[in-house]
Amino acid sequence: MSSLLARFAGNIYWLGRYLERAENIARILHINETYGRDDPQGPDWRRVLRLYSDEKRFLDEHEDTSPPAVLRFYVLDRNNPTSISSAIASARENARSVRHLISTEMWTQLNIFSGNVRALGQRDLRVNTLSSAANLVVTGCQTFEGIAEGTFLRGEPWCFYQIGKYLERADQTTRILDIGFDRLLLDKDDAVALVQWNLLLRSVSAYHAYRSRHPGGSRPHDIASFLLYDTEFPRAVALCVQRLTDRLQDIETRHNSRRDADVEAARRALEFSLETGPGSELTPNRLHKFLDGLQIDLGNVSNAIRNAYFV
Amino acid sequence: MKHAATLKPKPPPLLSDYDANDFYCEMMGRNGLSHTRDIRKRLNALDIAALRQRARSAEQELLDLGITFTVYSDRDAIDRVLPFDVIPRILSPADWKTIRSGVKQRVAALNAFLHDIYHKQHVLKDGVIPAELVLGNEDYREEMQGVEVPHGTYVHICGTDIVRDEKGNFRVLEDNARCPSGVSYVIENRHLMMRAFPDLAEGIAIADVDSYGAQLARAMAAVAPKGVSTPTVALLSPGVYNSAYFEHVYLAREMGAPLVEGPDLTVENDKVYMRTTNGLEEVHVIYRRIDDAFLDPHAFRPDSMLGVPGLFEAYRKGNVTLANAVGTGVADDKAVYAYMPRIIKYYLDEDPIIENVPTNICREHEGLQVTLDNLDKLVTKPVGEAGGYGVVIGPRASKRELKDLRAKLTKDPSNYISQPMIRLSVCPTLVGRAIEPRHVDLRPFALTGDSTWVLPGGLTRVALKRGSLVVNSSQGGGSKDTWVLV
Repeated sequence: MSSLLARFAGNIYWLGRYLERAENIARILHINETYGRDDPQGPDWRRVLRLYSDEKRFLDEHEDTSPPAVLRFYVLDRNNPTSISSAIASARENARSVRHLISTEMWTQLNIFSGNVRALGQRDLRVNTLSSAANLVVTGCQTFEGIAEGTFLRGEPWCFYQIGKYLERADQTTRILDIGFDRLLLDKDDAVALVQWNLLLRSVSAYHAYRSRHPGGSRPHDIASFLLYDTEFPRAVALCVQRLTDRLQDIETRHNSRRDADVEAARRALEFSLETGPGSELTPNRLHKFLDGLQIDLGNVSNAIRNAYFV
Repeated sequence: MKHAATLKPKPPPLLSDYDANDFYCEMMGRNGLSHTRDIRKRLNALDIAALRQRARSAEQELLDLGITFTVYSDRDAIDRVLPFDVIPRILSPADWKTIRSGVKQRVAALNAFLHDIYHKQHVLKDGVIPAELVLGNEDYREEMQGVEVPHGTYVHICGTDIVRDEKGNFRVLEDNARCPSGVSYVIENRHLMMRAFPDLAEGIAIADVDSYGAQLARAMAAVAPKGVSTPTVALLSPGVYNSAYFEHVYLAREMGAPLVEGPDLTVENDKVYMRTTNGLEEVHVIYRRIDDAFLDPHAFRPDSMLGVPGLFEAYRKGNVTLANAVGTGVADDKAVYAYMPRIIKYYLDEDPIIENVPTNICREHEGLQVTLDNLDKLVTKPVGEAGGYGVVIGPRASKRELKDLRAKLTKDPSNYISQPMIRLSVCPTLVGRAIEPRHVDLRPFALTGDSTWVLPGGLTRVALKRGSLVVNSSQGGGSKDTWVLV
């Protein structure tokens, strides 16, 4: 059995990342739309642009942040490399390069799924259709993930797929948390806040999981610590980092690839930031800074992995 | 009477209006073939609407499964399917016996010929084939002179294009000894057919095509450099932009071999390595789907971005095996083709089991005379040109064209061959709402490591345009599943 080609390791990693990214963008658009429904001014779409640091890029080409324009930008726009369409198309091109390493079922599903995403149009982004478009993307990604779970050989390619997925997921969870807190902690009315807290949890499929931990109610501090530190919740940052660490370990011990000092250093820095935490007194500003730092740490891990294994 | 409104007329048997127009038909023969009787009976029980419905879902399935060739625009990858016709082409056990032994014979002769011309060149010295035809050929690789290849195998993968004439006799139209493609469609067509028409094949014994990948892996392992007991085999592809990329993926997977591109490989101390997550790893056998010219910018075209610098030297030293060997293009050349019956006789002392299309070699006095006397009936081809360029089809040519041709022939006879027009056999094919005859050919695939194995059947290509004899996918060709009955 020969080792995995460096180029393929990169392709599989990006396959995992792009699909996870598409799923999370869909979740974020959905939650933002839902949050804004009660707002007399409608949803604040600048928030999503800020979240992905896309404000400048967007305003260079668009005059205003109307919902149709932002939604088009994030769902349909193939000139935007971070749109759902671009992510799915990139996932498919990466999969095409490693088709001989993934299962036929994975490829077939991705093929059909990307066809469905390509067929999306502006009509699918209206108030009454957005949620089913978002749902199409989320379930498409989840179906792929389920097929991978059941058919993807647990070798080195799978490790890189998992690493890509968990890195992206950790990054996205920090962003979803950020968008939620940006808005929620400023809300005075407790009743409105409660509804919206629950929406935030639902957007990452965390509502019931969180309830089982905290039957009493939804407190900002508990929610933040749940999404950051719960080691049993699959979208929590700590769990993602743990999985990432496990798969890097597998690559070294089971698949006989070399240990890389830079990857290890970057991973430890990420772990350290996470352990240090945002501090006990949670303010939106402090949390935002902390999440920003995590995003930078995750980026460093990604770069180190690329330099160590993909070239 | 009272149920008259609900009574539908029974649809006519599917093949009842079918007329092969005096061509040899693969399904009917001249007056009904006994070995296709059961299949015809089952086809006749289907009505055209049901057949069309199943054909449509089969095509959708090809798209869903990504069994496609890809056309790239600036931003989008557009996937196209090779049109698939749902009515299979049937070969009897006797047909197959002829084809299999004929292909094996041909491959043996090609390998013997290539070994000879890259060593002592007896065939040239004995005057069997004019030396300048070989040595002056642009696909002759002088660099291969004296290079030893394992088991003397040059053509590991061979695709032999075979047609059937109006009498029902098979004829070899062309040898493909470089990088023949299409085998993945043979296997995928079968899978598709078994899913879409399980009822058509039920209880009929059809030769299996699934073992191709294992046979290919076996052949590649058999030609590993001396002393390598567990060789690493890789498939070298030009990459995702190549129209046959699907096939490259397919074969790599069937062999369990990594699919590499030029930049994934590197040569150090005349050994070939691939870049892995674990550093460099040696490669022993490369099934390459890249033409000679692009293999190695040091040895061949210096502008090649697809190849691997230093690969040819590693190959010459015997540290890596390339399949097919370098320099096989000279053997499937049009001019050399004309001499194949003599080449077979020379090396094997046998007559061809499957004959060539009769070919007049105009560099020979008799051939020239026959050609000049029958210019309006023959197909005349310049030997140096590829892609049908300069071909004159006598019966369809104007007087002026024939006059021009006559002048060229007289001036430079050795640049020409001529052949009679072959009335290719036909196969019932679903066209729109009807079943019509369409011309077909057959490309069986032969694998050779230390011995030769032929995949039962092969790729049946069908010219979907009415009257067309061109089966190439670039010109409106499609394919059919090919059933070898056992």
